Amino acid sequence: MSDEQYPSGLAERVRVLAQAFVESDLLRVRVERKHEAIELARNHVPAERLPELAPELEAASAAAPLKLDIVRADLVGIFHLGRPQPFEGERLEGDRELAYIEALGIRNPVRSRGAGRVAAIRAADGDPVEYGQPLFELDRG
Amino acid sequence: MRTVAVFSEADRGSLHVRQADEAFCVGPGPVARSYLNIPNVISTALITGCDAVHPGYGFLAENARFAEICADHGLTFIGPKPSVIAAMGDKATAKRVMHDAGVATTPGTDILASIDEARKAAKKIGYPVLLKATAGGGGKGMRTVENEHDLDRAFSSATAEAEASFKDGRLYMEKLIIDPRHIEVQVLADSFGNVVHLGERDCSVQKPSHQKLIEEAPAPNLSQKARNALHDMAVRACKHVGYSNAGTLEFLVSGDQVFFMEMNTRIQVEHPVTEMVYSIDLVKEQIRIASGETLGYTQRDLAARGHAIECRINAEDSSNNFAPQAGTLADVVFPGGPGIRVDTHVYAGATIPPYYDSMLAKIVAFGETRDAAIARMERALRETVVDGVNTTIGQCLEILAHPRFREGRYDIGFLPSLLKARV
Repeated sequence: MSDEQYPSGLAERVRVLAQAFVESDLLRVRVERKHEAIELARNHVPAERLPELAPELEAASAAAPLKLDIVRADLVGIFHLGRPQPFEGERLEGDRELAYIEALGIRNPVRSRGAGRVAAIRAADGDPVEYGQPLFELDRG
Repeated sequence: MRTVAVFSEADRGSLHVRQADEAFCVGPGPVARSYLNIPNVISTALITGCDAVHPGYGFLAENARFAEICADHGLTFIGPKPSVIAAMGDKATAKRVMHDAGVATTPGTDILASIDEARKAAKKIGYPVLLKATAGGGGKGMRTVENEHDLDRAFSSATAEAEASFKDGRLYMEKLIIDPRHIEVQVLADSFGNVVHLGERDCSVQKPSHQKLIEEAPAPNLSQKARNALHDMAVRACKHVGYSNAGTLEFLVSGDQVFFMEMNTRIQVEHPVTEMVYSIDLVKEQIRIASGETLGYTQRDLAARGHAIECRINAEDSSNNFAPQAGTLADVVFPGGPGIRVDTHVYAGATIPPYYDSMLAKIVAFGETRDAAIARMERALRETVVDGVNTTIGQCLEILAHPRFREGRYDIGFLPSLLKARV
């Protein structure tokens, strides 16, 4: 994409990139320009594409094995995603409050406890969660 | 009515978790972090829209603070008022209150502030004495002390056990009445001052740890004089303290002499024997009373019929001081047929965690007569299969066959002496 084609507004840049991403076979795309980085990743690979992607996925996992760390609820309450909302595929540079669990009127932070990539968000905003319930999968690799 | 169960990580496979409409894990195996974790229990009730909390018969069932916290969050605690739980749950205070109500109590002390105070008290009362946890129940934090030499060790180990079990290590002391019977009276009271008793249960078949193993209703060979005294005192005591909901007053009985021991402000493990002879669902009554209904009947409307016996099937090695057993149950077959009831949380394939009370099931047998109930119980125990852990089934059968049990002439010294004779 030439500089002339690249839109000037952030929202528009994301939209154009997303359009190109959806039409591609890529699992993840990251564009870095000066002080900005936009990364898009697929949550789920459509089942019909799994066979054709299998060698690619295998190669990828062999090259960089996932070090999945599951962040669990340490109390019972209502789960709320933090602001800004974390998203799947997002890279966390360091420790960050990803969400909080509201219990007995108290906001109890759920932290990433270090850097990593958000591989999956396992609970939805507003869900009641129990002790030990998986909330996030973080790839520490 | 919809139900929400709480469970620990170790109890994820328990039957109550499967049977409830919803179930929430409140913490890891150790009780302090799960079943005694009040914020997580309350939070579960709130996020699932519960109206009321039934505390069962362990953990927080006699915790006045928990009952208060329920009320603070708009939840109905199914049990008596917190102030009554506090007064009765604190065994030393309970004895004082009962004494004021004209109920006979065993000679003993208030809460002991120190080991020095315990030494002085024991000298005054005279050995042997019993050290008991003021927050106690189920034999936890209780020690028989034969002489001054054993007092220090018993005091510190009972304090530690009570602290671990109830988060309250305070002890009091009682004169040990040699080989009394343990007979308790079931009461129901509504919030409008109506009180009834539902007869007595004989719980004298106790392990050396004072934990009950076999209970029956009514108590065999109890004089009418002692029976009337027990029932009258129980009702009088409830009226005196403004009791509401289900409760049990435990007495020591020696001949026709009866002494109040303690009150349990909750439903008890052995409540099914009363349910069988009175044809009444005590837990349903608890819920009705908690929702503000009146009892709707008086003492004259109640009559016991027949005889009921309960055997506790525990994962314990009765040949090794009832050491608790943990493991996976390879096979489980429970008995059935007329007059047999089984309350349980296990099934074939269930795992018994090491953290909790070792009770697997309660088998209850009803008969028109005591002999008929014993015969049914023996048949039911022989039908029962629990493979994978040692259980108390064999021990229960041995007791049922013993002449002293057959004749209904046993006291709390019966099982310990049977065990000693076997060694």
